[in-house]
Amino acid sequence: MVTNFRREVSWLSAIALTLVVAGCGRAPAPEPAPPPEPEPQVQPRDEAAERAAREAEEQRRREEEERRRLEAERRRVLSLIGERVHFDFDKSDIRPDAEEVLQRKVSVLREYPGIRLRIEGHCDERGSNEYNLALGQRRAESVRRYLMSYGIDAGRFTTISYGEERPLVDAHNEEAWAQNRRAEFPITDQGRIGAGE
Amino acid sequence: MLRTHRLAARRHGSGRPGAAGGVSTPLRTAALFIGGVLALAPAAATAQEPQRDSIPTDVRVGILYQPVFRPGIVVPVIPAPSELSEVADSARAIILRDLDYGDRLEVMSLGEDIPHEGPVNYGLWDELGAVWLLIGVIEGPADAPVLRLSLHDVVFRLLQDVRAFELPPLRHPAFRMALHRAADQVVRWATSSTGIAATRIAYVDRSPGGLEVFLVDSDGFGLRRLSSDSSIAYSPAWSPSGDRIAYMSYQAGDPAIYELDLNPGTSSLLVDLPGMDMTPTYSPDGTLLGFAATVEGRTEIYTYNLAERCCARRLTYARFANSLSPTFSPDGRRFAFNSDRLGQLHVFVQNTQDGSAELITRYIYDQSVHNAAPDWSPTGDRIAFHGWVDGVPQIFTVAPDGRGLRQLTQEGRNEDPSWAPDGRHIVFASTRGGIAGLWVLDVVSGRIRRLVRSAEARLPDWSGRLDSTSLVGDTAAAGRNRDNP
Repeated sequence: MVTNFRREVSWLSAIALTLVVAGCGRAPAPEPAPPPEPEPQVQPRDEAAERAAREAEEQRRREEEERRRLEAERRRVLSLIGERVHFDFDKSDIRPDAEEVLQRKVSVLREYPGIRLRIEGHCDERGSNEYNLALGQRRAESVRRYLMSYGIDAGRFTTISYGEERPLVDAHNEEAWAQNRRAEFPITDQGRIGAGE
Repeated sequence: MLRTHRLAARRHGSGRPGAAGGVSTPLRTAALFIGGVLALAPAAATAQEPQRDSIPTDVRVGILYQPVFRPGIVVPVIPAPSELSEVADSARAIILRDLDYGDRLEVMSLGEDIPHEGPVNYGLWDELGAVWLLIGVIEGPADAPVLRLSLHDVVFRLLQDVRAFELPPLRHPAFRMALHRAADQVVRWATSSTGIAATRIAYVDRSPGGLEVFLVDSDGFGLRRLSSDSSIAYSPAWSPSGDRIAYMSYQAGDPAIYELDLNPGTSSLLVDLPGMDMTPTYSPDGTLLGFAATVEGRTEIYTYNLAERCCARRLTYARFANSLSPTFSPDGRRFAFNSDRLGQLHVFVQNTQDGSAELITRYIYDQSVHNAAPDWSPTGDRIAFHGWVDGVPQIFTVAPDGRGLRQLTQEGRNEDPSWAPDGRHIVFASTRGGIAGLWVLDVVSGRIRRLVRSAEARLPDWSGRLDSTSLVGDTAAAGRNRDNP
């Protein structure tokens, strides 16, 4: 547009000059139209931008790596926290296999003091509906006490029993019952797992 | 009862009245004799309370039902002008079903085409084997019909009693309950014990949003959902006045006890101690709520003063063990409850004011014993519960002193018994016949019927007798009513 306008201007001025010259009875050689303005020299600036982009890319890669690392860490923490523990029939004491699971939780909970949990006690379907509520509560409580005995602050846990109302496996056999007699650990506050602290 | 007793002797050569069941022993005969003598006294009503199936021996486990004589009753078709014929037919059908479900009378379908205008032909009905004849007459406008019932004693050839029952219009939500009350009155005239038709059963069932409290009439009609918490509702319990139901709900996340007011059908928080509050039960006078609450991770039994809305008082002290599911004796002085304090789950009885807990179910060394869900009979003499037989729950009853253990069921899983106000019928959850639901058992005759068919129906609680004042909520609930034939 600008160029067109300029061309127009130069064309008009050429005509005017011709007229003036004609008026003088002489026709000097017309001045050549001014050359188009040179394109801006962007080559050095491109190099700077590329450098910046490279750096940004590098930064992004580093951030992505960090993000992946944090995500992996987050997943590790969540999976350790989320690992269920199981109980014997009509019992609420911590079995040796459950103790291993809880030990892993203890170290994670020490590492991330911001994490808060709900400890849910669950039962298999065999006992009476109402008794199972009480049994589930005792299971949640015995897990809470175990974690507290390793110095984890009591204020970081709440407990609740769902009795037999939330089975993990909806079947009526010994394997299903063994799976369903459990404590679960939904996280109520993730603290700063995602912040890498 | 005296009369039916004589009749039974006359017709069947056995001295077994309809209301008495259990085991034939010299003691029983003596009790019957004394009962008969007392029945002659003016204060006959007290002596004519139903005889309980107390077994004088220590432990007798097994399915014990005796053939029981039920006096026959005939209810001829109720004649009515055309605008009342539907009312008349419905009324008769409801009363017939109630009389059958009451298990005290045998509904006879004999001689239904016999005209009964004019004087009652006692000789004819006697010949047909009837002991009672119930004649209904329906009158008045269709929007306010009146049913006049007369009960005739066929054997003694006299009019036993007569009364007019005002009925709501046919499709009014209170129509069926008005007839249930009429049927209960007929049972009272015939047996001196009021029937249990005008009652309801609250229970828990699965709904799309979760477990909710449901309600059903004693005859299986009028099924409807009461709560809408969309969480877990458990352990509904009727107030003695019949207008409120306490239950446990997870609606606010933390399990607490709520109360449903049936009129207008709203739910409000009743008790919320720290932790879980569960298994509510009203004291028989309605002043206290018994329940279990969390103490250091286990549960202990408390009472809460309903009149003053305050003052939780702890009743049990069992360290390292759970105590739950309290149920009061009719005089409110004692309560039975469930506890695992002996390492097995058992039923205990304790004084409400003081005293230690006494074990009333059998401790069996080294076995998986699981006796749960006690319910103290409204007549006071038995406590029902479910206990494991080879790992499968079955319904039992036992005297409050631990004597006379009696097993009532053996087919399928049978759980969470609750007594009807007559202390003779029990509603419970069962999988018998491969079809889960709620079932009603007559502990005297062993007759059993299905009340609700639903895979997840459970934790039933039978109301007391519902008088008209406790039923004001019916109209409000009319929109939600749906019949469940």
